[in-house]
Parts: sequence; structure tokens; C-alpha cells
Amino acid sequence: MSGMDIFITIITPLGILFAIALVFGVILSYAGKKLEVKVDEKEEEVLSLLANANCGACGYPGCSGFAKALCEGKAELNMCSATPGENKKKIAGILGIDAGDTGEKRIVVACGGGLICKDKFEYIGYEDCAMALQTAGGNKACSNGCMGFGNCAKVCPSQAIDIKDNRAEINSNCTKCQSCVKTCPIHIIKAIPENAKVYIKCSSHKKGKEVMDVCKSGCIACGMCVRTCPSGAIVMEDNLPVINYDKCTGCGACADKCPTKCIAKLD
Amino acid sequence: METAYFAIFIGGIFVNNFVLSQSLGICPFLGVSKKTETALGMGLAVIFVMALSSLFTYIVYTWILTPLNIQYIQTIAFILIIASFVQLVEMVLKKFSPSLYGALGVYLPLITTNCAVLGVTLLNVQESYNILEAFLNGLFSGVGFTLAILLLAGIRERLVKSDIPESFKGFPITLIAAAVLSMAFTAFSGMLGG
Repeated sequence: MSGMDIFITIITPLGILFAIALVFGVILSYAGKKLEVKVDEKEEEVLSLLANANCGACGYPGCSGFAKALCEGKAELNMCSATPGENKKKIAGILGIDAGDTGEKRIVVACGGGLICKDKFEYIGYEDCAMALQTAGGNKACSNGCMGFGNCAKVCPSQAIDIKDNRAEINSNCTKCQSCVKTCPIHIIKAIPENAKVYIKCSSHKKGKEVMDVCKSGCIACGMCVRTCPSGAIVMEDNLPVINYDKCTGCGACADKCPTKCIAKLD
Repeated sequence: METAYFAIFIGGIFVNNFVLSQSLGICPFLGVSKKTETALGMGLAVIFVMALSSLFTYIVYTWILTPLNIQYIQTIAFILIIASFVQLVEMVLKKFSPSLYGALGVYLPLITTNCAVLGVTLLNVQESYNILEAFLNGLFSGVGFTLAILLLAGIRERLVKSDIPESFKGFPITLIAAAVLSMAFTAFSGMLGG
């Protein structure tokens, strides 16, 4: 086989492929022009700033759907938890809306019990909160008390939960994925706004006396925080204060006055 | 002659159903079969792509690749053609049915790599069909795919409302349903006297 033959053997298939590609390329580019769908420039810009994880957690089909809804004002920025806060601010700038609550969360354990909280009985069994809960409603005298078997720590993908003194604690490794929030069988791990300065470290809706009997760090629903708060951000609901983080200025007066110290300050 | 076309018709839809008998194109079969509506959209897109790419690959294979004796580049050439058709379908859907476009999502461009489509074009060559047979084989194989995905979508829509054991919810029960469906289709095998 001469050099020329080899050259032809190589160049023919390449040439053919190139020709086919060219023909279809031309057809497609023509079709692309004909069938062009105008995409809003804003929409593309917003899309590039979104996380582009296409997780669908916002309820729209992918990030492009969410970007479209954002531009049309149908969706809110905080529906997306994957986009970083600074990007959300940029998007808010583009759309001319208030970034407001960017949806960034902070995870807290709304129970100060642990060893302070009395046990109802000694639980001997598989160390699992959900299973302990099946056994006569859990071993803690308080039905909203952390049992400390660490189901949250087991699901945490970043080892951000330590069990100290029979109680879960979130450390700085937390990525705010909220797996623990979903896992906790008694729902005492809560996601609160990132910029929150205080949180209620108790989840018990029982009356003061009942709480006092079992736990020294529980909320006794005295209402001191409600009266103290200078900005009226706290209301008492079902024997537990609820903080309106939109109104909270972070002065910390409630935490200072709380007799059982069940309102904790965050840094 | 007519019997040959009839054999392609029955073969493409029932006997050699791409999904249920040959286990090709499973990805969109499981991915877009949650709702009958999107499943139908996906099926129609696949019919279009299969039929037209069968036609065009036949033309390219018979009148370009064979005379030049370079049939060995068939796979790459066929993929090129299929990809172009998928692009075309994508453009058309984006323009005329944005909701379907959104619902099909990533599975639409994935038709390119749907092995059922490449499979049908390569089988056309293998079976040495003529141009009409090749086109019909693509068309009916597409119809077969649509039938399979519609059946599964119908089953899945009902499964959502049924009381399924926790560990079977979602994909496991879907795979079981697909397997039972596929077993039912084995009843057609032998129909062509093959």
C-alpha cells in the first residue's frame, strides 16, 4: 500500500463524517434560526447565578424553570436552598427585588435538657432515638427532650453533631443540609434564619409546673421574654415563646432575663 | 412482500419490542414513565427520531458508506445523524410545547444516547432491509417503545395510589412492574415463526 493509499484510507472516512456533520450543522442552524425561542437576557443571567444543581427542591423543573419563575415574579429567592447567599443578593440586584431572607439557615437543637432532664425509666435496648421513642414514649421524662442516642449524628454527612452530656450539639462543621432536622423523631432540631441572634432552647409545650418537675433548663412559660422584648418580636404560643426573626433586633434582652436560661444567644 | 411489512409491524411493536424484549432504551423507559402525558410525549419524540434516523442512516449507509467501502464508521456516522434529529426535536418542542420540554427535561437530549435508537439503525443494516423496510422498522420500533412506556406509565400512575410496602416504594416496584410487563411480552415470541 503506497503512501497515497494510506492517506486516502484515512481521509475518506474523516471527510465523509465532516461532510455529514456539515450538512446537518447547516440544517440545524437554519432550523435554530427559524424555531428560535426568545430567552430573556435577565433569565439567562439569573440562571448562571443559581446553583444549577437542578435538584428540583423548589418545585420547578430544574434551575431554568426556577429562573423563569423568578423573572416573572412567581417564585421567591428563598425557595432555593442550594444557591449561596451572595449569589442570591446579586440575583436580587438584577431583578430589582429585596433579597430579604436569603433562605440561609442555621441549625439549632431546641432542647437544653440532656443530663439536666430527668429520666422516666432506664432504657436498655438498641441505641436509637426512634426505637427508644417506641418504648413508652421515650426514656426522658420530657416528651420533647433530647434522648441523646444520636440518630441525628448518624445521618449527618459532615460529622457536625456531637452528643455531649446526653444531648445533641451542632458544631462548626454544619453545612445546613438539614438531614438531622428531618431525622429527629421528636422534631427538636430546627432550622432558623442564619442571622438569628437568639433561639428558644426548649420545645416543651407543657405548663410551667410540669416542665419544672422534670427539667431545670426548660421553658416554664413565664412570659418574661414576651414582656422584656423591646421590639415585640416574641409571642407566647401554647406555653412556648415564638420569636419573629423579622422583628428581632438581636439585643439579647430576652436571653438575659429568662429565669431558666432557655433562651440562648448565638454569636 | 406485504407479509414482510406485516412481520416488521408485528415484530417492531410486539415480538421484538425494544424495551420489553431486547432491554434497550431502559433509561427513558424508567425515567419518564411517571405520567402518561409525558410518557406519550417521550414516545412520540422517540418515534420521530427512530423513523427519520432509520431513513437517513439507510441513505447514508447505502449510498455513501457502502460505495466508499467505509462501513466501519457506521456507528459514529449514525450517532451524528441521531444527535442531529434529537436537536431538531428539542428545538421544535422548545418552540411549540415548552411544558412538555420542561417535563422531559434531561431525558430529551438523552434520546441521542438511547441505545434503542442506535440499535434500530444498526439492526436495519444487519437485517439488510430495503429503504421502506428500514423506515417502517424504525417507525414501528418507535411505536413499540411508546406502547411499552405508556403501559408502564399507566401502571405507575396506579401504583402511586396503591398501598405498597415501604421498602418497595419508588424504583423497586417500578422495576418489578417492568419485569412483569416484559414477561407478558414473551408471550408474543415465536409469533413470527422465528
